[in-house]
Amino acid sequence: MSTEMDGATSVEAAHEPSAGRERVLDVVGLVVRLFLGVVLVFAGIVKVGRPLTAERAVQAYDLFPLEVAKWIGLGLPFVEIALGLLLLLGLFTRAAAIAATVLMVVFIIGISQAWARGLTIDCGCFGGGGQIGANQTKYPQEIARDTVFALAGAWLWWRPRTLGSLDHYLFGH
Amino acid sequence: MAKKPTTSPASARQAKIQAAQKSQGGGANKIVVATVVVVVAIIAVVAGVIWSQQSQETAITGGGKALPTGVAALGKGYPAFQDVTAASNAPVVDLYEDFQCPACAAFEAQLGSTFQEQAKAGKIKLVYHVKNFLDDNLRNDSSTRAGNAAFCASDAGKFQEFHNTIFPNQPANEGDGYTDAQLKGFAEQAGVTGAALTTWQQCYDANKYVDYVNSVEEQSFTDGVRGTPTVKIDGKDVELSTIASPELLTQAIQNATK
Repeated sequence: MSTEMDGATSVEAAHEPSAGRERVLDVVGLVVRLFLGVVLVFAGIVKVGRPLTAERAVQAYDLFPLEVAKWIGLGLPFVEIALGLLLLLGLFTRAAAIAATVLMVVFIIGISQAWARGLTIDCGCFGGGGQIGANQTKYPQEIARDTVFALAGAWLWWRPRTLGSLDHYLFGH
Repeated sequence: MAKKPTTSPASARQAKIQAAQKSQGGGANKIVVATVVVVVAIIAVVAGVIWSQQSQETAITGGGKALPTGVAALGKGYPAFQDVTAASNAPVVDLYEDFQCPACAAFEAQLGSTFQEQAKAGKIKLVYHVKNFLDDNLRNDSSTRAGNAAFCASDAGKFQEFHNTIFPNQPANEGDGYTDAQLKGFAEQAGVTGAALTTWQQCYDANKYVDYVNSVEEQSFTDGVRGTPTVKIDGKDVELSTIASPELLTQAIQNATK
């Protein structure tokens, strides 16, 4: 096992013009992966045990029929936790990163349409949600925040190889 | 087909491929692992959804179809000042509040007396919709118990007094909620005493109006009420900034009087 790993490293080192740069990118990838993983797990956990709030946060976007929005609200926290755990473990990093990026883009679209249509809601990104006063909305901040998360996902989509990932130990890449 | 036999013999290629495969290491079958992960994730999400749904259904209940005096049906609001006969052209003013909502307490402190004076004078038909959605987010059951307590006080004719006692006594920290003893204290302050207090306690312990409060929560959400406080005049949502002072509110009521 260990000799195979060593072999892999030396083969890569021989092929890559700059092994040091790759190593740095692996570390950057690790940081990005843990960041996005923690964000997703946290966003999920704060919604668990608050089913009505979670349902209504989605219903407030006024995008789906109430009954459909209800089930999205109930399921979303667990999807976020699952994706976050995969990223924390570095298991199927690219697939999880693609899903997380798509999710963030969907969130950005949802918030933008709420803003454009003049709804006054809290995004409910980290719990809470629902209608709020017109002067309490934080649409630019919410969109900026989700954009950062989407960029983190896109980074891992583009370069899923990270330091200390299960992908590396299980599949060697 | 067009392989160059001299530079890259098939056996050398094969060796390279094998080396590459070997260097991928571990020997874990990616498809098997992926299948396991996907199945586990789906089970976890489905189980989570079912659990969430059930935890919602086992929220506190009680009272069945019991309705406070003057309420037409489950889901409908509670008409205030039932002894007052409002003018025939008086608009219906619906107030949606949750006893744990700090914005409602601030709103009541500023405008509550104006609403009540107008209702007492018969210039509006004031209807309270007592909601309990904050229980879920604050992870307690204080809104539901407070609502039940308020309508138990209504049995003694003291809903308004209870309502006016509880808001100024809201916990300083949102989410701290109300104890049973506090709610009983509010009932006493509202003027529920003696034998009436014993009746109030029985009503409170039996959760007599819990199902009614739950029904109001559900109905008001279905009717598009997405937050508290919400004010409707003759069924139309009122932007709160347009009634930000007693004068503006009085004006809005006059405008709505036909």
